[in-house]
Amino acid sequence: MTTYSAVEMIAFTGSRMLEDNKIVFVGTGLPMIAAMHAQLTHAPGLGMIFEAGALSPVLDMGIPLSVGDTRACRQACYLKGLCAVFELTQRGYADYAFIGGAQIDRYGNVNSTFEGGSYEKPRTRFPGSGGAGAMAASCQKTIIIMALEKRRFVKKLDFLTSVGFGDGSATFRERSGVAGSGPFRVITNEALFGFDEQSRKMVLLEVAPGKSAQQIQEKVDFKLNLAPDLGTMPEPTESDLRLLREVCDPEGYFLKRKVK
Amino acid sequence: MKNRRHANPKKKQRLKGARAVNASRQNHQWWGPPPEESRHIAVNKFKALVDKRSSLKQAIEKFIKNGVNIGIGGFVNTRVPVAIIHEIIRKGAKDLTLSFQSTSICAELLAGAMLLNPDHLSIKRVELAWWGYEVIGIAPLLRHLAAKGMIQLDDYTNYGMSARFKAAAMGLEFLPVKDHGGSDMERCNRGTMIKSPFSGKNTYLVPACYPDVAIIHATAADVYGNCRIFGPLCTCAEIAMAATYTVVTAEQIISNESIRNYPNLTEIPYLVVDALIEQPFGAYPGLCYGHYWFDMAHIGLFRSASDEFQRSGNSDSLKKYYADYIFGCETFDDFLEKIPPQTLEKVKRLDGRQPIIVG
Repeated sequence: MTTYSAVEMIAFTGSRMLEDNKIVFVGTGLPMIAAMHAQLTHAPGLGMIFEAGALSPVLDMGIPLSVGDTRACRQACYLKGLCAVFELTQRGYADYAFIGGAQIDRYGNVNSTFEGGSYEKPRTRFPGSGGAGAMAASCQKTIIIMALEKRRFVKKLDFLTSVGFGDGSATFRERSGVAGSGPFRVITNEALFGFDEQSRKMVLLEVAPGKSAQQIQEKVDFKLNLAPDLGTMPEPTESDLRLLREVCDPEGYFLKRKVK
Repeated sequence: MKNRRHANPKKKQRLKGARAVNASRQNHQWWGPPPEESRHIAVNKFKALVDKRSSLKQAIEKFIKNGVNIGIGGFVNTRVPVAIIHEIIRKGAKDLTLSFQSTSICAELLAGAMLLNPDHLSIKRVELAWWGYEVIGIAPLLRHLAAKGMIQLDDYTNYGMSARFKAAAMGLEFLPVKDHGGSDMERCNRGTMIKSPFSGKNTYLVPACYPDVAIIHATAADVYGNCRIFGPLCTCAEIAMAATYTVVTAEQIISNESIRNYPNLTEIPYLVVDALIEQPFGAYPGLCYGHYWFDMAHIGLFRSASDEFQRSGNSDSLKKYYADYIFGCETFDDFLEKIPPQTLEKVKRLDGRQPIIVG
């Protein structure tokens, strides 16, 4: 039997979400690995945007450790700055955003600003929006990577950094002046979520082999809707794992980490 | 959103949310010179092609005063103006405002200087999108300053901050952007939602960011300050043009003939550069495309000392870092002397000799 780690499952699932011949706006870490794996398998026509300014580089020097890394720029087709790539995105040329965060709510809104206390005096201040808020607003579809924990899948965010479906009302995104269609998938190592088209609430789409919907619900603080045809998350094959470990991140900068 | 926490109760009245308002923002505060003042200084600048070279010490002495807004170039660990930051720390300055999209060691170094000796250097507020080290970890000193309420923060997205610098670079007061709306940044930052005068649709405006002083590390420049940048441009040109004064360190000085042969390659024109310093390794331990990669171990050394301080309050390692690497050095070259030559060779090698045009 194939054995794989939690982060490998997340990277593989991320790759599965990406359609060929599209553009994915990637953040540092697992999004890059997912996009590289997709390029090497089912999506050779997939292009990447890195927010410091690169479009479609050749990642032949190893996994970039930053979105401004030299490795993320090498042999790019277009290399400018933040304004250039975010404006391309705002214009409609980025299909997928890959973002993470500390908390998510049932409408796919994400917090990456602070936890506890107040904005002026936060108990734990995080780095802030960075590109995430802009990506979640302007990329056509947002994919969120998150560890499946009750303290992260919360009823109410301490701060809304990256917009999902807001309060869930049908016109929220339009009234907020953002252009993308909003949250598309939420990836964890134990479950894959989507969003109901009518209610815009998070829906459990797939569970990892051996997990039940009940076990997933126990790690989520709001009530999950279940997809009528609840699926099982496909597992990475030996060949997927070889690509992930030997080609995408051979130094193990991200794949050797533990899911926190 | 009805139930969202009011990040700043005082600002409830001007809560914009998805409800657009057309009210003028008479309470708006520029965290640097007002646009008219910044333009006035630009109009009255001496605009001939003159040699802008100076020592870093003289440049910092001249431009970094108490209370200024410093626009920090680069992006996280990429082409960050570390040499300039070291000199600012040696000089000291109080009540600084910092503005940047995403940065790591530059803001952390200033924060550490403040925590060790607030009478010498202090940060009053920061307008930002992101402050951390990416793969190396979170920024412990930001966490400390924020938790103690020691600095005021004003949050935007990376595009928002870049657009704010761009607006100033265009001589404007604001730019419309298609982000921030619907987020809690909308209710605590200084942007505002209006109705588009054309479609009536809600449109978010970010106020321009006019720093007093931009600090930029460029790949190359001629003596007049025409700068070439290779690798990601980040938001460097916009920050340089937004600021009232710009201090540039360059990896190398190149000929004006080369600049004139390839004028398309000039990212920052001489007009907006006020002081220029040739400083090889000026972004170390950050990276400079075509020259060197970043030194994770050295960044890690400073970050560990910061982390120890944040966790335990023990400032011994942090003090030692500043004593050894900043206050114990007259110049940035003295700092580089303390880095083992094989380390500098290694980071050069790790760049992979990316092609750049400097001839």
